Amino acid sequence: MEGLFFNVNGGYVEGIVRGYRNSLLTGQNYSNLTQCESIDDVKLQLGPSYGDFLATLPPNPSTSALAGKMTDKLVSEFRYLIAQSTGSTAKFLEYLTYGYMIDNIALLITGTLHERDTRELLERCHPLGWFETLPVLCVATNIEELYNSVLIETPLAPYFKGSLSHQDLDELNIEIVRNTLYKNYLEDFFNFVNTHPDFAGSPTQDVMSEILQFEADRRSINITLNSFGTELSKQERRKLYPEFGKLYPEGSLMLSRAEDVEGVALAVSAVADYKAFFDAVGLSQGGSGMGGMGGGPADGKSLEDLFYQKEMDMSKLVFTRQFTPAVVYGWMKLKEQEIRNVTWISECIAQNQKERIGNFISVF
Amino acid sequence: MSGAVGREPVFPTRQSLGLMKAKLKGAEVGHSLLKRKSEALTKRFREITRRIDEAKQKMGRVMQIAAFSLAEVSYAVGGDIGYQIQESAKQARFRVRAKNENVSGVYLPQFESYTEEGVNDFGLTGLGKGGQQIQRCRETYARAVETLVELASLQTAFLILDEVIKVVNRRDINSELDELDREEFYRLKKVSNKKQRDNAAADAEILAARERAAEKAAQNGTPPVAEAEEPETTDVLGEQEDNDVIF
Repeated sequence: MEGLFFNVNGGYVEGIVRGYRNSLLTGQNYSNLTQCESIDDVKLQLGPSYGDFLATLPPNPSTSALAGKMTDKLVSEFRYLIAQSTGSTAKFLEYLTYGYMIDNIALLITGTLHERDTRELLERCHPLGWFETLPVLCVATNIEELYNSVLIETPLAPYFKGSLSHQDLDELNIEIVRNTLYKNYLEDFFNFVNTHPDFAGSPTQDVMSEILQFEADRRSINITLNSFGTELSKQERRKLYPEFGKLYPEGSLMLSRAEDVEGVALAVSAVADYKAFFDAVGLSQGGSGMGGMGGGPADGKSLEDLFYQKEMDMSKLVFTRQFTPAVVYGWMKLKEQEIRNVTWISECIAQNQKERIGNFISVF
Repeated sequence: MSGAVGREPVFPTRQSLGLMKAKLKGAEVGHSLLKRKSEALTKRFREITRRIDEAKQKMGRVMQIAAFSLAEVSYAVGGDIGYQIQESAKQARFRVRAKNENVSGVYLPQFESYTEEGVNDFGLTGLGKGGQQIQRCRETYARAVETLVELASLQTAFLILDEVIKVVNRRDINSELDELDREEFYRLKKVSNKKQRDNAAADAEILAARERAAEKAAQNGTPPVAEAEEPETTDVLGEQEDNDVIF
């Protein structure tokens, strides 16, 4: 029943995204890319899927320029989708942009704290995280003004409310602010896909819950691993864990008490997937190479690589479902990974480090 | 005087022989000292050249690894973190100290790098993802900067030593010799002036004596004896051309 009326509003968008999915690079494309000798060759190989966007690049462009143009294509396609969607689908797509908004706001807060010219910062903002009131943030000259009159107008205001005061913005490390916002965002998004009448009981709820739970767990694990050796206290750390996911609540509690990599491995051992990851990179046996891309065992894969791999698998599986805007999420993640892959390959080519060129994640 | 090429014109007297011997000894000692200094510096110079070569090759490798670790970071984080890092860095973690090293009287500056362990300004960057890559990238770059500092220290020493060795080998000896030459020339000129004055006085005396002798001979009717020899004996040290001795 739940799919009966989906196509009235969301059918077009879903169809478009399935079309976009077909232009994603395949294993064959990647193996062609790895054979390239120069960035120009890479550009040529990308021709079929990115042609019009790469046309303006100068000969032998830098990898960042290449990645920038690829992102431009993603952005323009996403903007088209969001313009075509309506109702709950539009709301869902907006939720996808909030993650980028958080990054942009963190950037602007950093700029304001250091009294930089915030107009310069606008150019550095991620275009997907752009919202109408973003330029208004530049009006604020100090952090209190920013908090009281400007942030409140942004779509992210609910995430500030209740967990961050303007003193916090001034005193806390910007990373803590960013991760607190992200935690609130993930919880809100999770709540949205589970309770919104259009999504509750639909495939959207199924797939998105799973993906968001994974995202929440991944963040908790990463925050814990990355906080070792920094001034972040355990209490503060605990506040950054999203309060849902497969690890919540027992795993989160154990994570908050973990003092080393073994502690983290123990905390996640209740979930088979994560335990397998930790075993694969040899962290559970007390390996000292903190998930090293270079030094880790497991054929050079780091924990983050495995997480990305898992994320890609889930995003790919989203396309087996129908009547759901979750395919947009899957497509976006796949596309982002694709941009990262191409950047990696072209970096390897540009820096003549061909031996590590295979270290990307090919999905199709 | 610099008239005779490669030869120091001196008066052939015992005193000036002694003087010249002392001078020669001094010059030899000075020369050997300078030679030794120059050798010590050259040895050091060669060693530094070798180490610069090594450091440059190492730098090439290290910079390559560092640039690649940055690529790893951008892969893991999936975006540009440059701005955030720039903004959150407040204190220098990697610092450089300058020292002086004395190599045979030449002061060579040496740079020594050390890390301030307490400073960890962007320790939380990439907390959500990519934090480990960022930390590793930072370590790699710290190593790269270390190599650069080492290279800078060697290059400075190289430049200074190069200059000093040139001075020691060439200009110092030459200028010293020139100085000696000028001194000698002046002294000889002074001496010859004095001699000429004395000679003139002696000539006048001899002329007067000869006149007196001629008068006597005219009175006695005997010819003067060894007439030609007399001016020779008085003129031996003079500047004039010696007349042929006729026996």
